[in-house]
Amino acid sequence: MWPWISITLLSVVAGTALTFVSGRYARWTALATAIVFLGEVGLLFYAFSGWSTSGGILGGFAETETHAWIHVSWLSINYSVGIDGISLVLVLLTAILQIATVVYSWAESNRPAAYFGLVGLTCVGSFGVFVALDVLLFFLFWEAVLIPMFFLIGVWGGPRRRYAALKFFIYTHVASVVMLVALLATAFYGQAGSGTTSLDFTAIAQAANSHLTAVAQTFLFVAMLFGFGVKFPIVPFHTWLPDAHVEAPTGGSVLLAGLLLKLGGYGLIRWAVEILPQGFAHARPLVLLIALLSIAWGSIVSLAQRDMKRLVAFSSINHMGIVLLAIAVNSSLGLMAAVLLMFAHGIVSALLFMTAGSFHHTFGTRDLASVGGITPTTPALSTMIMAGSLASLGLPALISFPAEFAALLATWAAFGYWVFLPLGILVVTAAFYLWMMQRVLFGPPRDVPATAHDVPWYEGVGMGILVGLAVLFGILPGLLVNVIANSPVKGFPGP
Amino acid sequence: METLALAAPYVPELIVLGAALLVFLCDVLGLRRTEWVGGIAVSGSALALLAVLADLGTAGLGVFRTLPASSVDAAPTAALTAYTSLGLIFAAIFLIAALLVALASTSRPSEERGAPIFFGLLLLATLGMLLATIAADLIFLLLAIEVTSISTYVMVGYTRRGSRSLEAAMKFYIVGALSSTLAFFGASLVFGAFGTTNLYAIRAVLATGSIGYPVLALLGFGFIIAGLAFKTTLVPFHAWAVDVYDGAPSEVSAFLAGASKKLGLFAIFLVFVGPVLFVATGGGSLFPGGSLDLGPVLRLVFAIVAVGTMTFGNVLALLQKEMKRMLAYSSISQAGYLLLGIAIGTAPGLAGATLQAFAHVFMKTGAFLVVAAAAAVGIGPLIDDWRGVGSRRPLLAVAFAVLLLSLAGVPLTVGFVSKFVLFSAAVQAQGLYVWLAVAGLLNSALSVFYYGRVLKVIYFDPAAPAATPAGAVVGGSDAPPLPAGGIGYGRAAAIGITAIVVVALGIDPQPVLGAIQSAATHFLATGA
Repeated sequence: MWPWISITLLSVVAGTALTFVSGRYARWTALATAIVFLGEVGLLFYAFSGWSTSGGILGGFAETETHAWIHVSWLSINYSVGIDGISLVLVLLTAILQIATVVYSWAESNRPAAYFGLVGLTCVGSFGVFVALDVLLFFLFWEAVLIPMFFLIGVWGGPRRRYAALKFFIYTHVASVVMLVALLATAFYGQAGSGTTSLDFTAIAQAANSHLTAVAQTFLFVAMLFGFGVKFPIVPFHTWLPDAHVEAPTGGSVLLAGLLLKLGGYGLIRWAVEILPQGFAHARPLVLLIALLSIAWGSIVSLAQRDMKRLVAFSSINHMGIVLLAIAVNSSLGLMAAVLLMFAHGIVSALLFMTAGSFHHTFGTRDLASVGGITPTTPALSTMIMAGSLASLGLPALISFPAEFAALLATWAAFGYWVFLPLGILVVTAAFYLWMMQRVLFGPPRDVPATAHDVPWYEGVGMGILVGLAVLFGILPGLLVNVIANSPVKGFPGP
Repeated sequence: METLALAAPYVPELIVLGAALLVFLCDVLGLRRTEWVGGIAVSGSALALLAVLADLGTAGLGVFRTLPASSVDAAPTAALTAYTSLGLIFAAIFLIAALLVALASTSRPSEERGAPIFFGLLLLATLGMLLATIAADLIFLLLAIEVTSISTYVMVGYTRRGSRSLEAAMKFYIVGALSSTLAFFGASLVFGAFGTTNLYAIRAVLATGSIGYPVLALLGFGFIIAGLAFKTTLVPFHAWAVDVYDGAPSEVSAFLAGASKKLGLFAIFLVFVGPVLFVATGGGSLFPGGSLDLGPVLRLVFAIVAVGTMTFGNVLALLQKEMKRMLAYSSISQAGYLLLGIAIGTAPGLAGATLQAFAHVFMKTGAFLVVAAAAAVGIGPLIDDWRGVGSRRPLLAVAFAVLLLSLAGVPLTVGFVSKFVLFSAAVQAQGLYVWLAVAGLLNSALSVFYYGRVLKVIYFDPAAPAATPAGAVVGGSDAPPLPAGGIGYGRAAAIGITAIVVVALGIDPQPVLGAIQSAATHFLATGA
């Protein structure tokens, strides 16, 4: 069988390397890379055995590939990649966001080769994180995401870019140090009796489950919760996010919100919840508390924002809080909801950050209160803002709805009437959004500059792709749900 | 024939010695072109490297073997010398450093005073290192280190251009002499405590758990640590290193950072690893039954010094404005990582430290050679002088970027793998060693900033309005300018090799790591 995961990885790496050196034609190279990537992900989908009940169209499709990499007497490290439903959905998100970002940034004039190359590198890293099944490989890709993002913020960012890039780097890097030590400790303590320690996911999971005490598991889980949680971001380690988002260029914000936050969620599910079930069970109250805190804090603070990017940034904290809540429920419905919600948030927050970028280009400010009634002047932009906001607050037939609904349903099943706590917060936020929409988009034009013009075609297309997908998966969430629910290789714990 | 058979195990040393003598002969005969004498040095160290690699059992090199396989890692004897595979690996490390530096130095101008002498001294210093790798006796070891030290004192100041270089040589000499004195004094105390200076005999005594004069032994080991810490640039014995690395010609700095530092590390391996650190002579008490339990004390000292060294080096490297001083401080911090492996003290820890040393040869030697090349093409000594180099000299900039990324421990470089193995070893040792891994990881996060800043200057800052004129002087020294040349083939080749090896080993470290791991395991097993 063809090693499709490695082929995909290789093609994206090669495309990204080409992008870096193709000078003026970088955007074309980047677009070609992204399209090939999406095609290959489509193939992975097509061949994935969870896709149809018949067990895959290409029978016997290799969902994991393993090659020996570093083997010494005490340590065994493999190049080991694999895909299950959870990864596949997030890999699809990566491919979609790469295309959308490249198209949206089509006219980038400041060192375009480096810009598109770094965008590609971020996507390579994310793809790698989603498929890696070995600690070294996982950490390698995890770090590989950090560096391009640091440069995207630090070079192409806004006026306080240096501060924001540094803060982003310090927060996430310290967290990844804790994460790595926790992962290594899980591996080495779990396999302490055996002579050789394998850093392979399956080996770690088996050894940890049979050898680690509940106390050790809890300790390690909390360390990983911190390590992955900073990327999430969880309150109170979220303060890098608004700064990074506000200062990052639009493409950087899109990848940051769309992909990087998902790395934290994916990592928590794959490496903490699946490997340390007992630790997770003991730490659940803490996870739950942090989830509710993040939901509440994200919403309340976003109500007070006038800067559109900060508003979206804080609503991201709120949405990722719901993801954490769905994980904390610890049922297969909850985990399915968490993954679906991450996909939904990836699409919607990317869309909202694009609209914020276009809003800034058009009106020269991101201050929402400074203009009003912009629809007659910029109908396309207004449509996108409207679509993004409605998707964000969970309008049925848009992608967030099935995800949030499933998350709340799982919460209801597990905690009963407590579900009204997050639900109440969501309703208040939704009302606020509608009121803001009404003021900014509709009503009589107020302070609209005469020079305002509607979005250029490439920005429109970039946003249009995401709106289309939000509608498509909003109407047919089953396309993704089937895949997530059928994760035969590294599957969910039972219901 | 008998004489030949007697000489066979020393073939690498004899090759290096012969090459050194040939170089001095060429100097006397007036053949002073750096390409020629450099060629002798390059081929001498390459041949010796081949013999060492063959002795390590590298497949396909069997014909070059100088040692029967049975005599490597054999049971300890009372002789002066012993062959261990870890020693052979360090011999390979030293020879690689010498080879790279000699290759790059063929591009130094021939008109410079003492150019041939430089190659002779380089070979003599290497000879001392090779002798140290086969030492089985404390005095033999310290004498071998002296051979290296005296050669390197002269190398630092051999150009006699400018006061900064001479000051560096003088400082290096005085501090080096002091450190040798300390080490020898320590050796005399150890002799007093154990009645022998044979390292294996000392281990055997320690393994029995009863030392006649524990306080004397502790004092002796303490003085030896201090003496060797000077060579390895461990905090608080590091102060000389920055001035010397800064004042010396960049090729010499490359050799000092690439090879001399590892010599101190290997000496610490030889003296302290094994029963000295790990045989607990009693229960948890420091003075069980009237005799001193050395192991925990020394390990704690090594752990503290390791963390202190890496933190100190990294913090000060952050503050530097000159490229060479930044690299010098980063080199100090790297010594801390090396020592981490000794503090962990398990075979994986030892392997991690050795791999880190192996990686460091390519990374740091390469980085200093890039600085030398930069000086030759008129890039000034300050970090800010590198503005715009990314577009003016793309190949040099890429090579430098690769080396710096490896020093920072970025994935897909050998620096990443070596740190990963080292920190894995720390976690594998469990208990408090996990915190050593945390300290090391936080430190490598810190180091990313100053390496990243250089990359930012190279690739993102706009070029300076008036470029420094070609032929300007390096190292901030007040010497008269050398005639400006290009990078030169030798230098380009050496830098290219380091950059390629750094990436290749980053992708596939298995061949090197496998050999190092088995060597480290043997090293801990013999004499224990």
